[in-house]
Amino acid sequence: MTDSRSLASTLGRRAVLLGAGGAAATSLGAPFISRAQAADEIKIGLLLAKTGDIAAQTEYLANGSMLALEMRGNKLMGKPASLIWYDEPSPQGAQQNMQKLVQEAGVVAVLGGALSSSALAEQATALRLKVPFVIDNAAATDITGKNCNRYTFRLNTPVAVQADMFAPYLLEKGKKWYFLTAAYAFGQDIAKSFKEILAKEGGTVVGDDSVPLNTPDYSSFILKIRAAKPDIILGGVPAGDLSTFLKQWNEMGMRGKIPICEIAIGDTDIWSVGPTAATGLYTSLWWYDNAANTPAEKDFAARYLKKYGKPAADKAWMGWLTATSLFDAIDAGKSTEADAIIAGLEAWKGGSAENPYYYRKGDHQLLLKNLVVSVKPKITDQWDYFDVLASVPKNAADLEKVFGDPVANGCKMG
Amino acid sequence: MLDILLSQIVAGLVLGGLYVLIAIGLSIIFGLLGIVNFAHGGFFALGAYFAISLYQLAGWPAVILAPLLVGVVGMAAERLLIRQLYDKEPLVSLIVTFALALMIEALLRLAYGGIGQPFSAPFTGIYLWGPVLITKYRLFVFVLTVVVLLALWAFLQFTPFGRILRAGSRDPEMVGLLGIPLPRVLTATFGLGCAIAGIAGVLAAPLWTVTPAMSEGAIMPAFVVVTIGGLGSFAGAVIAGLLIGVVSALTIQFAPSAATTMMYVAMAVILLIRPRGLLGERWERFE
Repeated sequence: MTDSRSLASTLGRRAVLLGAGGAAATSLGAPFISRAQAADEIKIGLLLAKTGDIAAQTEYLANGSMLALEMRGNKLMGKPASLIWYDEPSPQGAQQNMQKLVQEAGVVAVLGGALSSSALAEQATALRLKVPFVIDNAAATDITGKNCNRYTFRLNTPVAVQADMFAPYLLEKGKKWYFLTAAYAFGQDIAKSFKEILAKEGGTVVGDDSVPLNTPDYSSFILKIRAAKPDIILGGVPAGDLSTFLKQWNEMGMRGKIPICEIAIGDTDIWSVGPTAATGLYTSLWWYDNAANTPAEKDFAARYLKKYGKPAADKAWMGWLTATSLFDAIDAGKSTEADAIIAGLEAWKGGSAENPYYYRKGDHQLLLKNLVVSVKPKITDQWDYFDVLASVPKNAADLEKVFGDPVANGCKMG
Repeated sequence: MLDILLSQIVAGLVLGGLYVLIAIGLSIIFGLLGIVNFAHGGFFALGAYFAISLYQLAGWPAVILAPLLVGVVGMAAERLLIRQLYDKEPLVSLIVTFALALMIEALLRLAYGGIGQPFSAPFTGIYLWGPVLITKYRLFVFVLTVVVLLALWAFLQFTPFGRILRAGSRDPEMVGLLGIPLPRVLTATFGLGCAIAGIAGVLAAPLWTVTPAMSEGAIMPAFVVVTIGGLGSFAGAVIAGLLIGVVSALTIQFAPSAATTMMYVAMAVILLIRPRGLLGERWERFE
């Protein structure tokens, strides 16, 4: 017998338990600097998850932001500029990484916030560090509601607003809704917003399941839904969890029997499902093949396709747009001081006359139209999954009204 | 209510079967090599990705090669990395295999991207017996799991290789003195454990979202099943896997948000009552 074998034999049950605990507790991923840095360059932080199911979306968010910088020749204010990408492994880990980005890497602003739970924590750190922070993905209402602050800007439309925009399309299908929402900020926000709407409309909640994140098997949930016979399923499960649910929904023979409806999904969530299992009615902020896209968006989409060999997902556009707004603000103010960047972002305007978008001063929320999209009945292209049903609100003049008054939404800008 | 409970129990048993398959390779590697293999979930994910690539290359028949490829990768990992851990502190093997798990995930992300890979079952359809609904594919997975487990049990019990494995796990010194090349046996054992994880990955690919992160969804249930079942206990892992599946399904019926938590609660309760797990033996080398 070798010594090695005898030493190995000292392992026991405690080691396995230690292993199990370690797997649960240890955050994955480590900081990574995406581009070489030079002493005089302007550094922008990118704070996006690198692992976990949400990484399918953050890859596109990061690609979009990087392309935005590339489209400016990797320069801001005429100086070399770079993006430094750190992980957001958990809300606490993301806060630490934001601090490292600002205090060690010397970034002048941060883009990111993939998950609502992380973004809510990160925006508090942005306030403490007094660094401009543009959230590109998280949709929790409180980000630009009661948790709003002067340093935080947010692209994604708040859950409550998306719920108001989407509800008329759902009520057309019936008033018996089954709620299947994730057991964290985003899912809870969705459940709360839609339940309020349903109650006002005199509808019925026929099922209400709060689903743990990263649930691998939905068969038991699907059995409950099947037994409840709802008019629609109101989903609030994020990213890969939605993909898994849709695959198993189809596998259990339920595709096409009860409509699945959800807000704030990503194109990648549906692309991951495949053409035979994809289904549903959703809200989205952007679709690469939408005829109403502006010339700048079409240019971005073409460059993205050329660079990455596949169409830009909505998340790529979100990464591109938030980065573009920040870079425009820095260039316009010719300064990397936080106050100048904030002023630049507050003054920034994009889009077109029919489809404008801008951050409003009252809560730093980007106002823009949302799309209502439906998965095509028959999908013949690897990427072309959606029909755009509507752009809401119909008139751009109604944007302020639809997004609600910032103060009434709970925002007291500090 | 009885109808839906019956349906949930059947769904739980099928899910439990998949958990058993994921866990059994982990149990074999731990029981016979003494390595807590954090990278097991990574080999599970490799099985799914290899299945998709092989399917795209040559259709469904080629998918059968996926677990074999995972086994080969596992044997290479044993020769290059795991073998160095046999004379190290247990914590070192935890850290190194955890690093290996991260590396596999990163390599998959590099090769395939972070987006999920679409992959559907080769056949669809459901069987409906009274209140019980089971899909054809899940029934296939369950039956195949039973076949794999029986074959594995017979292999370990009745073949010379299986006897060497079992003897080596109890008394490696004596096996070495008999002139049996134990290092090769250990390489093959690690490969076998990884190949079984690969089979689970192949079977899970049409049901789960195939992303580099899918390993995370596999590794924790596997650890729980191995711990509840009792270290190195084949039958224990089977019972524990099915138990966890049923507990998860019934929790979803009554308290869905606690479905994941209940798995750990069940583990804690069982370990409090029986610290060695359900069928854990008293093994001198683990005491």
